[in-house]
Amino acid sequence: MIPEFEYAPYVWTSYGIFAMIVAWQIVQPILKRKRLRAELQEELALAQGEYSDDPNA
Amino acid sequence: MNGRPLLALLRRDLRLAVRHGGESLMPLVFLFAVLILVPLGVGPGPNLLAAIAPGMVWVAALLASLLALEHLFRPDLEDGTLEQWWTGEVPVGLLVAVRLFSHWLITGLPVILFAPVAAQMLYLPDRALGVLMLSLLIGTPLLSLIGGLASALTLGTNRGSVLLSILIFPLVVPVLIFATGAVSAAADGLSPQAHLGLLAALLILALPLVPLATTAALKLNIE
Amino acid sequence: MIWKKIKVGFHKLGSPPVFYRVCQVVAPWLWAGAAVCAAFGLYKALFVVPPDYQQSDSFRILYVHVPAAWQAMAGYLVMSILAIIALVWRIRTTEIMAMMGAPIGAAFTTICLATGSIWGRPMWGTWWAWDARLTSMLVLLFVYLGIMGLYAAFEDKRKGARVACILILVGLVNIPIIHFSVEWWTTLHQGSTISFFGESSMDASMMPPLWWMVIATKLMFGAALLDRSRNELVEQDRRKGWVRQKMEATA
Repeated sequence: MIPEFEYAPYVWTSYGIFAMIVAWQIVQPILKRKRLRAELQEELALAQGEYSDDPNA
Repeated sequence: MNGRPLLALLRRDLRLAVRHGGESLMPLVFLFAVLILVPLGVGPGPNLLAAIAPGMVWVAALLASLLALEHLFRPDLEDGTLEQWWTGEVPVGLLVAVRLFSHWLITGLPVILFAPVAAQMLYLPDRALGVLMLSLLIGTPLLSLIGGLASALTLGTNRGSVLLSILIFPLVVPVLIFATGAVSAAADGLSPQAHLGLLAALLILALPLVPLATTAALKLNIE
Repeated sequence: MIWKKIKVGFHKLGSPPVFYRVCQVVAPWLWAGAAVCAAFGLYKALFVVPPDYQQSDSFRILYVHVPAAWQAMAGYLVMSILAIIALVWRIRTTEIMAMMGAPIGAAFTTICLATGSIWGRPMWGTWWAWDARLTSMLVLLFVYLGIMGLYAAFEDKRKGARVACILILVGLVNIPIIHFSVEWWTTLHQGSTISFFGESSMDASMMPPLWWMVIATKLMFGAALLDRSRNELVEQDRRKGWVRQKMEATA
């Protein structure tokens, strides 16, 4: 149950901004790790000669 | 160790500045551009102009000192002169100090010399003129020191100019506050001693520390 | 004997694979701890603590604003210590950690500025005031942005890290001066600044959520720092053998 604050919009936007920015601190490294992993796997495949341009092959 | 390399460096820097002619006049052009554009922008009312005069002169001095920073160390890095600094017997910190001193002579001194004219154009009260000159005398070397540090830090990058302004902005905040505070206090008939004293303290702090940090940054950049 | 073990263990942290592994194991625990502390703190801040008699409920913004501000400054301190270690002993993992602290510090500074501005609207009647604390936080944000920009501008990441470490130390000297000068400036111009918390100390019942949130932000900073450092390390070492081995092991 959400208490009925005075100034509620101000309080909630503040907490919202806090939550959003902190969430970004969690999400950003995860996204970057995924991207890195994909890039590295591609490089590895390229190095081992298992790379193919055709995605359907 | 003798002082001849230092003198030679100073003479070379100044000669280069003079022979570049147009470029070394840029700080003054800048100062007067600001002085003419501001009244056009905010209106010619003497009260308003007098109130913002210290800030305007100081912002002009700050921007003027930014102009030459891009080329403070870069040409020397590119033609290899900078590396020679470490082979000589003169401590590099001193050479850095001389380089910054010549930067101040080129960008700071003209602004100081023409500050009385600027003060008249902006209706700064006469009693504040001396303090304005004094604040510029203490403060513009600080601008050169800070600018030199920032330009040494960004030396190894290829998009220096944007970075330069971001790096310099936080560092000059105290200088601007104390210098304009001193002039405003004097214009209001108050004692500017506290502001000027703090400004001088900043200069005393920066004089030994900044050449050290600048030397370290330069060394990293030529490694 | 035990000392030797600690010393060896510490030095092992300088080795990229070990550091990677440690980050991988420790970061989730830090996030979990942060989540628990934040859940506790937020619950108390929103439901348990009574409204302030002057500011009513708007003072609840304090529970995100103040921890973020403290973390923005504490983060800078952490970065400075890492920068000193990085410059003196040239340990690469500390260089990376010092650099990765900047975006997180900037994030907390942004939280502080945004929530401060939102708090200022109902209390002061304006989104922005040239108050000493607000102005010095804004300057701190630019210091963080400068460090990030400088590091990003270098092709050679190790060189960039060391140059940016010098900037961190310059900022360390400069930030107290900035804070002092801004305080001096606003007190001279505004006469009486609206005082944030007043001279009266906070009521004891209002303190516990604040402490929970402070601990939570500390843990968040640490966790985010490890996460980011781990990624940066892999990105820099992408052509090295240990990364290859890890990839082959998981592929």
